[in-house]
Order: sequence, then structure tokens, then C-alpha cells
Amino acid sequence: MSAAPLASEAERPVAVAIRNVDKWFGNFQALKQIDLDVHKGEKIVICGPSGSGKSTLIRCINRLEKHDSGRIVVNGIEVSDSARAILDVRREVGMVFQQFNLFPHLTILENCMLAPRLALSLPRPKAEALAMRYLARVHVAEQAGKYPAQLSGGQQQRVAVARALCMEPRIMLFDEPTSSLDPELIKEVLEVMEELAADGITMLCVTHEMGFARRVADRCAFMDRGEIVEIAPARRFFDAPNSPRLQAFLSQILH
Amino acid sequence: MKFDPALALHSLSAMLHGLLVTIALAALVVALGLAISIPLAVARNSQRPVLAWPAAAYVIFFRGTPAMILLFLVYFGFGQVFGARDGLLGALFSNAFLCAVIGFTLNHSSYVTEIVRGGLLAVPKGLEEAAAALGIEPRDVFLRIRLPLAIRYGLKAYQNEVILFTKATAVVSVITVVDLTAVANNIFYDTYDPFTPLLTAAAFYWVLVNVIRFGLARFDGWLNVHLVADEQRDRVVMVRADGAVPRPIATAGISEAAE
Repeated sequence: MSAAPLASEAERPVAVAIRNVDKWFGNFQALKQIDLDVHKGEKIVICGPSGSGKSTLIRCINRLEKHDSGRIVVNGIEVSDSARAILDVRREVGMVFQQFNLFPHLTILENCMLAPRLALSLPRPKAEALAMRYLARVHVAEQAGKYPAQLSGGQQQRVAVARALCMEPRIMLFDEPTSSLDPELIKEVLEVMEELAADGITMLCVTHEMGFARRVADRCAFMDRGEIVEIAPARRFFDAPNSPRLQAFLSQILH
Repeated sequence: MKFDPALALHSLSAMLHGLLVTIALAALVVALGLAISIPLAVARNSQRPVLAWPAAAYVIFFRGTPAMILLFLVYFGFGQVFGARDGLLGALFSNAFLCAVIGFTLNHSSYVTEIVRGGLLAVPKGLEEAAAALGIEPRDVFLRIRLPLAIRYGLKAYQNEVILFTKATAVVSVITVVDLTAVANNIFYDTYDPFTPLLTAAAFYWVLVNVIRFGLARFDGWLNVHLVADEQRDRVVMVRADGAVPRPIATAGISEAAE
């Protein structure tokens, strides 16, 4: 689970290629000329102060936000205005949100079955078997018949992970997955994410859990004011940060 | 001036006939209103002015016009405006019942459009994003996530509107449709007894309205089973606070079977 040497990273195929991406919200530039290659199987943790563009960046990858210029290519598919391309990209990429966003009117099992049924046209028994397999993998299989409101935050977030995995994505995006959880529930979600990372899936994770970043990330990126200020292998990122801004940020959060 | 049970009994079959007309009218308008208002609400929420503006104009005009005036306009006015005195349109606009259905539908659907629209706007954006991120197509996101939740959010307001509208059908006699109120009025004119027929009609309205209320409340309970389940969890937590042995809901049956 430790960081692989950078040389071998570079030889792996690129899963997500981001080139010169700009994003504006009105007059505010949220992303400035972002360049990033995420290699297949690589785990990247993105951190930075709020409003720095971390969430916007990963939301551009599956087109929840539309980038204004530059290119984003996901497993060979260019993220563009084409509805077909957007659906294709979203089937390669799973996402977990800060607010869980489980569908409140569906049971846990139905939450997980919905996308396989609709987007992959799986018959009910197959979708159910798939959903139960991934619910078991995140250790909430016994909750399958309940509704989201009956679960704890940590359980809900693990269901959200299972729901994304049911589409068998090759890339997972995590947008501050533990930020709205009580402290004692954070661990169970991080453990599930670490298990997932160990299985070799490509991960981009916006988080402030620096322990998780040290254990799991191949590379860590620090964003500030819409730019990637520094990106480095996890060890160097924490132990020998280059830029003064990252040094200041780390000293703030690693009291 | 007192209630005359013999007259009430005697007029029962006429009253029931009037009630059937009221029910048929209300049922048709409610069904048409629902069918019209969902696409109208979607159009009203649309980013495209071509869709949003006509839908907004429809709501502003027909919600702002009294139902009785709409009935007059449709029954007496449309035939002349469209020059439709013969043929299919002529037959349509000379039928008072159909004119009543049209007039009330224009009014009722404008209210329901606003209820559906409010429900759609209340669905958290994150739920749609989660569904979209799963690769579900926009049409399915609307049909499986947004609309079902909007219906749950809007059902209480919708129940109010259906009840208000059902009682408002009482003005339909102005364009010669003989509904429950018209039957009661006719008996009043014949007998000079205002209390007996009007109180009898009021009782019928009360029963009708409460059947609707009960039906929609049952529908609400069925739709919102996930909220009821949530209350059950709260109850379990309360029991735990009392010091009693907590027992998770879903596994309760399993652990009992195991014992």
C-alpha cells in the first residue's frame, strides 16, 4: 500500500489526462491552467484550503461541472458536450460525495440496484446479486432492507461507496467523503477506502485526512486559488514540502 | 325552519344523482389537471425561455381568473370566438358538462402546476448529481429520483388543492350543469325549505371530501414508508435512553428466530 516508485508510475497507462483546464464561475476563476496525469491504479490525494478548486477539479472529470477550456480525457474518452461521451465517462468513473446523497425513498438495496438496472439494463436477480456483493464488501449487507435515514452517517457513506462500485467503475472520485461524519465514524469509512485502494482501483480523493493520505496516496497534490501549487510522492509531500504555501498549510493542519 | 327528515329521504335519489355529476366532474378535472400540470411544471422550470415563458403566462392567467368567470368564458365565449357553432367544436362548446371540465381544468391545473414545480425545486441538487454521476440518463433521473420525491414533497399541498377544488365545483350550475348544489337549490325552490336540501348536500360534500382526504393520506403513508421507518428508529433510541434493551429493527426477527 506504500507509494510506488515514480518511475514505474510513468510507465503505466494514463487513466485521466487533464491538460490546461480552466474553469470560471462568473468572474471567479476556480481552476487555472490545471495539468494532471493520473495513471492507472494510482491513488492521488488532493488537499488545500476551502475554495481552492479541489472539488471543482474532480467534478469536471465526470462533467458535474463543465470546464471552460483545455481538455480532459478519461480512459481514452474526451469529456465534451456530447451526451453519449458524458454517459460513457460516467460509466468509467464512480463518485462519492460529502453529503452521501443516497436516494431517501429507496432502500439500501434499491439504491445500489438502480444504476445497474437502468444504465446497464441488468435483470433484477443479477442486479441484486451485484448489489449484495458490494454491500458485503463495505460491511453493510445486513442493512440492505433498510432506508437511508435508518443508518448512521458512516453506514450511509459506505453504502454510497457500494452504490458507486456496483457500476464497476475503473476510477473512483471521492469528494471530502469523511467531512460530514462524526469523528468516531470516520475510521470505518477510511478503512473501506483503504481496502478499495489495496485492490488496485484508480483513486482521486479530496480529503483532509492526512493520515489516510500518508498511508494510501501515491502522490499528493496541494491546491490553492485554482492552481496545483505542488504535487509530489506522499513522503516528500509531507516531509519536505517545497513551496512556502504548502509548508504554511501543513503547519496549520498538522498541529 | 327546521330539518325535515322526510324531505331529505324523499330527495335522496335526486341528490345522489347530483353527487355523481359532482364526482364525475371532479374526477375528470383532477385527472386532466395532473396530466397537464407535470409537463407544465417542467416547462416552467426550464432554462429555455421558449418553454418557461408560455408556461408562466398560463399559470399567471388561469390562476388569477375566478373559476366562475372561466366557466362563463368557455361556455358562452369560446363558441363565438372560434366561430365554432357547427361540427365537432360546436358540439363540444354547446355541451355544458364538457365546458365545465375545460374551464375547471384550466383553473385547477394552474394551481397544481405550482405545487408540482415547488416539489421539483425542493429536491436536493446533490441527489440528481449522484444519479447523474452513476451514469443514469437524464430522463431516468427525472422519472426515478426527481419526480417521485417532488410528489412526496407536494402531496400535502396537493391534497388541499383537490379538496378546495372539489368544493368549488358547486358554482358549476351557473352554466346549467345540474350538480349536487344545483339539485339542492332546485329542491329549495320547489319546497321553500332551504335548510333540509342544503344541509343534506353539505353532508354529501363532507363525506366526499373526507373520502378524498383519507385516500390521499393512505397514499401519502404508502409513499413515505421511508419516513415512518425513520420514526421507528427514533423510538428505538428512546427506549435505549430509558435503559431498556435496544433491539435493531431489521435484525429483530432474525435474532428471535435464532433464540
